[in-house]
Amino acid sequence: MTNEIKPINMPKWGMEMSEGDINAWYFAIGDQVNAGDDLVDIETSKIVNTVTASDDGVLRAIIGATGETHRVGALLGVIASAETSDADIQAFIDSNTSAAAEPEAVAEVAAPAAAAIETAPAPVAIPQTANGLSKLAEGEDDSLVAASPVARRLAAEYGVNLNNITGTGRHDRVSKWDLEAAVLAAGGRLIGNSINKSNGAVPFGDDSNVKATPVARRIATQLGINLLECRVSGDRGRVCKADVEALAALKNKMPAQTDGSATVSSNTVESQPISGMRKTIAARLQASKQTAPHFRVHIDAEIDALLEVRKQINNSNSDAKVSVNDFIVKACASALMKVPAINVQFDGEQLSYFSNADISVAVAIDDGLITPIVANANHKGLVEISNTTRDLATRAKLGRLKPEEFQGGSFCISNLGMYGIKQFDAIINPPQGAILAVGAGEQRPVVKDGQLAVATVMSLTLSSDHRIIDGAVAAQFMSVLKAYLEQPATMLG
Amino acid sequence: MVVGGGPGGYVAAIRAAQLGFKTALVEKEHLGGVCLNWGCIPTKALLRGADIAHTLKEAEHFGFAFDNLSFDIKKLVQHSRSVASKLTHGVAYLMQKNGVTVIDGSASLADKCLLEVEHQGKITQYKATHIILATGARARNLPSIEIDGDRVWGAREAMTPTALPRKLLVIGGGAIGVEFASLYNDLGTDVTLVEAEQRITPAEDADISALAEKAFVQRGIKVLTNSIVQSLDTSGAESVALISGPKGDQHLEFDQVILAVGITGNIENLGLESLKVETEKGFLQADGFGKTNLAGLYAIGDVAGPPWLAHKASHEAVICVEKIAGVDGVKPLNKDQVPGCTYCRPQIASVGLTEAQAKAAGHSIRVGRFNLNANGKALAINEAEGLVKTVFDENSGELLGAHMIGPEVTEQIQGFGIAQQLEATEHELAQSIFAHPTVSESMHESVLDSLGIAIHQ
Repeated sequence: MTNEIKPINMPKWGMEMSEGDINAWYFAIGDQVNAGDDLVDIETSKIVNTVTASDDGVLRAIIGATGETHRVGALLGVIASAETSDADIQAFIDSNTSAAAEPEAVAEVAAPAAAAIETAPAPVAIPQTANGLSKLAEGEDDSLVAASPVARRLAAEYGVNLNNITGTGRHDRVSKWDLEAAVLAAGGRLIGNSINKSNGAVPFGDDSNVKATPVARRIATQLGINLLECRVSGDRGRVCKADVEALAALKNKMPAQTDGSATVSSNTVESQPISGMRKTIAARLQASKQTAPHFRVHIDAEIDALLEVRKQINNSNSDAKVSVNDFIVKACASALMKVPAINVQFDGEQLSYFSNADISVAVAIDDGLITPIVANANHKGLVEISNTTRDLATRAKLGRLKPEEFQGGSFCISNLGMYGIKQFDAIINPPQGAILAVGAGEQRPVVKDGQLAVATVMSLTLSSDHRIIDGAVAAQFMSVLKAYLEQPATMLG
Repeated sequence: MVVGGGPGGYVAAIRAAQLGFKTALVEKEHLGGVCLNWGCIPTKALLRGADIAHTLKEAEHFGFAFDNLSFDIKKLVQHSRSVASKLTHGVAYLMQKNGVTVIDGSASLADKCLLEVEHQGKITQYKATHIILATGARARNLPSIEIDGDRVWGAREAMTPTALPRKLLVIGGGAIGVEFASLYNDLGTDVTLVEAEQRITPAEDADISALAEKAFVQRGIKVLTNSIVQSLDTSGAESVALISGPKGDQHLEFDQVILAVGITGNIENLGLESLKVETEKGFLQADGFGKTNLAGLYAIGDVAGPPWLAHKASHEAVICVEKIAGVDGVKPLNKDQVPGCTYCRPQIASVGLTEAQAKAAGHSIRVGRFNLNANGKALAINEAEGLVKTVFDENSGELLGAHMIGPEVTEQIQGFGIAQQLEATEHELAQSIFAHPTVSESMHESVLDSLGIAIHQ
């Protein structure tokens, strides 16, 4: 514990961020704060994340109040010891609020526990550009980049090149925390029990060397708690079960929503905080709608021929249970090869063209949705697509997908046909460029050669990002797709 | 969805529910299947009665004398039925506890991923992404001799007798036949056992078969190996069997016959033929994870082939379901690690390769033998007939097989199973400390014998 006064500044998450909204403080003035504690939730247009304390101390001042917006680098609060005088605190505040944009590098402190551990920087000094995950993967051989063993292993799991991460760990090496912050800033999701972590509980430092009882360690792993954040009250200087549980209890205190109006209805209201997954979906799709100018192109396709081919395949091959959606995946894959301008990812700066069609298929699961990817769909036959999709959907509903199975993809298909939906528009999954919304195939009246006839018709709507896809290109894709669906044999060539 | 509520089916349903699948199980008779209702469980209950009969017969050796010993076979049967019923209710509770929907009725495949269940005239269709068939198996008949429930019993009738037969013919010297022969002999019936192969329990190691036959003959069971029953004339008051053996033909009279010549899978009326599901010799073909050639269809347990054991079905169930769910590290069942137990007297238990099989597979082996007549506990309880035989790979030290015959060996074989699972060598087993005095010590001595350092023999 030092007698220095430590500032809490508005962090800079990504090149584009210039300001952030203060969503909630976890502490009040006068509260004791430990290094690594979650301090305040900040929301930007792209992300909702949490600033963690880099020091122990007492929260002496809050300058950025809940609900306010402040520029990057602005002073939001002050941590100091209880003994520091108010006058000193005020002087510190005055001298820091006139400064402006540059984020201050926060000093590093030793975390409480015993053995060799990583230091704990606040999530500020990440100057990397706001790239998509694919950009993070590019780079030269990174085996000489200084990184903690944990960070290196995770980098492999995330597919991130360590050259792209700035290290703020001990001796400037890349820490697990640096890596995870970079992944989040790039719009990705954290691995493991990340569904709960991605709401902002950013762990810091590598806690594998922290002395802890085996039970405490196991509970900490299960709850996603970093042992470095725990107080140490066990025997022989070990974090014990009570310490982990105490931190867990603290983290579960959710900031209350101020709701001024008194409700005068007899309706009972049950409020609960939304889950990590829901928060992530909310943030990403809002960002998508706000950032990408969506425009929609709609086409109808007659699928009688397709249904006939499907019957033939299913009858001739006992191992085959091909669905209409499998055909759509195949047709999209083929169409994407013909119109590669749709098979792209865009992160706001860089446009990435993909040589293969990795098609995300939206699967509804409890409390949300997930988009497992049928990789290289253009190289897969229908039966293989069918079996792959079925396996992915089964495991998606059980929560057993590996991260690489749902992170990525160059195109997405969302099918609500099984609910009888005739037509709908979907929201693009960033950083993809487009998404296809598929409705139910139903018998409809059609006009053939001036006469009324009946055909099985399906409505398909492509939502595209007009920053990178123009109307004519989208229309061309849909017309190619329609042709493949109406004459499935042409996909064979 | 799971079709069949035996040890394969109900375990599959429970594991599926644990993993988060929406699960239903269809059963046309009783939960628990053959195992709980007409197989493993009731026969073990009856065989306990046989053990008691044996103990009472030799009680004099221990100083007991009594008059008027009576036996009511109906009460013994009643005990076995009540145990079966209790366990069936237990399975029903487990279904409920795990949220598995139990559907009464007879299921068949209407199409890929589509089940049709018929119950009391009503037909309901169910769509399921994954369908596991665990329909089990039933007793086979011979071309010339069929189970009629009257003169010729199958296992089901043999375990629910209303009176003790006087002269019993058991056709088939495999595990089931041997158990019934032993049971009825202990209860007082004159038993003749006929086996077509060269020895009874042909699936076991040759040394074990030899000791089993010797014990049976000593008890008064007439054992006819290399023999077949050509025909059975049931027209008269007693049935007359024409038995052909190495010494020629003979006609023998019996008032009851038990047919135990093998089983065949329940693959009929499931709609499999029209969907072109592959079968072989009356059983469904499935890969190491239970997957058949039909999309979304799996087969486990007795219906999927040998070994026809409840624990094999249960393990296949877990493997199949975990594989579908994408659990990491799921491996196919290792058939060399499935133990086999026969509950005759003396009991037989084995796991892994026989000596002959190990040699045929090209292993250079070390064999250890320990005879139970040197085991203190076995002598103390007056059950000193038996053998523990261990077969090790000379190079790797791996336990290739363990074969046991003697008192309660079915409870002891798990020790060897654990050793195999952990890939222990003779060294670790030799170092393991077995308590004294136990019959299990013979397991340890057998291992020492394979190293040439047995102490007590």
